[in-house]
Amino acid sequence: MHLDHTDYLFWAAGLLAHIVLLVVISARHRAETFPFFTTLISANIVKTITLYLVAFHGTRYSYRVTYSCLTVVDLVLQLCVVYEVALHVFRPTGRWAPDVRRGFIIVVAASITVAAGLTTLAQTPAKTWLAAVLIRGNFFSSALMSELFAGMIVLSVTVGLPWKPHAARVAQGLGFYSLVTILTEAGHNIFGMERSSRISGDLTLLRIVTYLICVMYWIVMLWRDAPAPRELPAEIRSQLVAFQRLLEYDLRKLRALK
Amino acid sequence: MISDRSIYFVVVLVAVLAALGTAVAYYYLRYRRRRRFPYGNWESLLARLSAVDRDKIALISQNLLNESGSWRIDEDDSDLNATQNLSLIGGLKGLEVMERNCAVLVDLAFYVQQWYPEASVVAEQLRLNAREVGWHVGRLKSAAQTGKLEIFFSDYAQPAITTYYLMTRRVLALYERYNLPGLGDLQRAI
Repeated sequence: MHLDHTDYLFWAAGLLAHIVLLVVISARHRAETFPFFTTLISANIVKTITLYLVAFHGTRYSYRVTYSCLTVVDLVLQLCVVYEVALHVFRPTGRWAPDVRRGFIIVVAASITVAAGLTTLAQTPAKTWLAAVLIRGNFFSSALMSELFAGMIVLSVTVGLPWKPHAARVAQGLGFYSLVTILTEAGHNIFGMERSSRISGDLTLLRIVTYLICVMYWIVMLWRDAPAPRELPAEIRSQLVAFQRLLEYDLRKLRALK
Repeated sequence: MISDRSIYFVVVLVAVLAALGTAVAYYYLRYRRRRRFPYGNWESLLARLSAVDRDKIALISQNLLNESGSWRIDEDDSDLNATQNLSLIGGLKGLEVMERNCAVLVDLAFYVQQWYPEASVVAEQLRLNAREVGWHVGRLKSAAQTGKLEIFFSDYAQPAITTYYLMTRRVLALYERYNLPGLGDLQRAI
């Protein structure tokens, strides 16, 4: 398989950025909080190395098969990351907020329906079934991820739940990348995914550059500490006693009104 | 050459993206505004609170609360009828004031939950109560539109008022516990 200098450059940049991100995640102890996100980044390192080896030693067909299989793994892990972010946002006391479950299921169902509808509507000019599956799969995955993140933002604001800082940064990066990939994969659906096509090459380049920007963003944001919770005053115990008195006063007033 | 089907695809995609973008932008701006309060603009936040008659709220609430402050099992054991309740609270308009105040109280609880994770349990209870009041008021508005407001009042309004009463107690407790500024103003407003 013929590769030029730009391909090698982006492969090296992607590998290096992922390794730096993984070091940041480990050094700042984010893996315990975001195990699925850590797995996604680790899987991307394995993916980058595997694809390099297959591209160097294998055929174009074997590369496409490997790429398709790894893309499925990537989609599953991205969905796991969405679920992980949802756990951080919609479980303020350690269990799912009772008024959120139904809304979250509706968001997931609506996202799958709309993403599937859009994917069906597209007419893919692919020459082989594998290429068609790959193009449609990539588009479905990016549409689904964008809708899920948008739905989660709408749901969290509607029910009034705040986003924890690092969960919000992970979601922003992945959400932005998904939004850009909707456009690039829509372009592939219209113009095809042949390497000889100039438009297809530019769209792929745009997707890779966007992903690298997101990885840089995660490196900076996950290195930084979340704003520390404010210090609690020392007199909490005496204030609790004062609160009890306030409650007793209210109850006495209630009884007097009867 | 781009096919007709591809053109349909692009049109639908643009419509979906526009809807997604508008929804995200609108809700993100609401989220940003909520994050700023109450320290960003305390006076503006208090200005959003409308005064309610606490004694009347307490009078209606006592019908659904027992002496320990928890809900009565037998809700039919009420000393006030629907007409009395309706006039005490000021009709649907009074309930709407409570609904608006609930939104402000959720904003306050949101802020506390963000900065004081230890208070998450109380803040979560407040949030759920506010949504419950909103649900009751929503049903009442529907009843008002069909001319059945008074019939539905005892079913929906009294639980809403009692929930509101319990919630204001919890907000004041939060602010007192964590020494947050503006407690005096808050006590006067709710």
